[in-house]
Amino acid sequence: MNSTNYDACPECDLLLKPAQPKLGEKVHCPRCGLLLSRPRKQSIERTFALSIAGFILFFPANLLPMVGLTVLGNANTGILISGVIALYNDGMEAVAIVVFLASILFPLVHLCLSLLISGHLYFNCPNRYLVAWMRWMHHLDEWVMLEVYMLGIIVACVKLMAIAPLKLGWGLYAFIALIIITTMLTSSLDNRLFWLRIEQLGKESKNAS
Amino acid sequence: MQAKANALRQGFIRCHDCGYLVKTVDQPSTCPRCDSHLHARHPHSLQRTTAFLFSSFLLYIPANVFPIMTVNQFGAGDAHTIAGGIVELIDSGMIPIGMLVLVASILVPSSKLIGIGLLLLCAHFRWQINARRWTVMYRIIAFVGRWSMLDIFMISILVDLVDFGGIQIIAGPAATAFAAVVILTMFAAENFDPRLLWDNQKNL
Repeated sequence: MNSTNYDACPECDLLLKPAQPKLGEKVHCPRCGLLLSRPRKQSIERTFALSIAGFILFFPANLLPMVGLTVLGNANTGILISGVIALYNDGMEAVAIVVFLASILFPLVHLCLSLLISGHLYFNCPNRYLVAWMRWMHHLDEWVMLEVYMLGIIVACVKLMAIAPLKLGWGLYAFIALIIITTMLTSSLDNRLFWLRIEQLGKESKNAS
Repeated sequence: MQAKANALRQGFIRCHDCGYLVKTVDQPSTCPRCDSHLHARHPHSLQRTTAFLFSSFLLYIPANVFPIMTVNQFGAGDAHTIAGGIVELIDSGMIPIGMLVLVASILVPSSKLIGIGLLLLCAHFRWQINARRWTVMYRIIAFVGRWSMLDIFMISILVDLVDFGGIQIIAGPAATAFAAVVILTMFAAENFDPRLLWDNQKNL
């Protein structure tokens, strides 16, 4: 009984024979209903392309003004990092750090990791850090909160509209595009395929040396 | 017959990180594919989840009692709690947004605390339950957790933008407590192992 011939459900530990789903098919665990695998078309190519796009968009989304507010002739514009700084200056260091991590640092690291991993897989270039990168990306997944931040922007805008006229900036449009790209990225990334390819690459490089 | 379907009882451990199946007879301590530590179940799952749940429960009280932000208008401070902010949104006619904040910052955290508590009791006392339904509940809890950060992000934007000579918004002490509640409940959900629910079912 070779271990690779079997598979186990991560949430109910049911021993399974791995199904070989075709494109567009979904495999659910028969016992607990968890989505087990869902092969994507050109997963590596798409992930690579979307990571590049996301990486490029990350900079306008962070540097251009997102929302501007004018009260009595004074204009204030906000970007992602200025919210963090404002919280920090108010003495809310812990909250500032959390916001910084969840909305700036983790999304950036996540994008860089998926760019590195999919790039290496795309060009078939083995790297001994691929495994570590893949694990970090897996652990970061939950802490990238761009779409939650977007809801925060919407609620803040609704509250502010009552006070004064708002001006939406290019940074916000870039941010929305970034969210769309990262959502497509997560859905195009086929974890199972990536791990298999990494394993293959590792074996190939061992045989070559 | 079906009891054999359990991978651990069949002698396999699934790697948490990469999903590789490893035979327990070899007694490996790390995964041959990704080198992460192997555990049949999350180590000390119930203890860790209880610890995170308990601390987030304690912090939930200051998060709701203290003001989450203060609006200073020409010297006069107006403190808002989480619930106060929602009441204000609904009063000013923005009912859908008010509902959104109500769900994200009150219903989700409180039902998460109760839900994880129930899951812990169920796993600890080996209740015979419909494990599939409880696993779905766990999945929902793990999924919705992060959306509670909405309030924190909103405050960071408000604090940043509303800072004019006379009018100013300042974050209050509840913001720290609330952010801690959200993060601790996320840790609690991450540390809970839903497979424990299945291990305890006698009729499987």
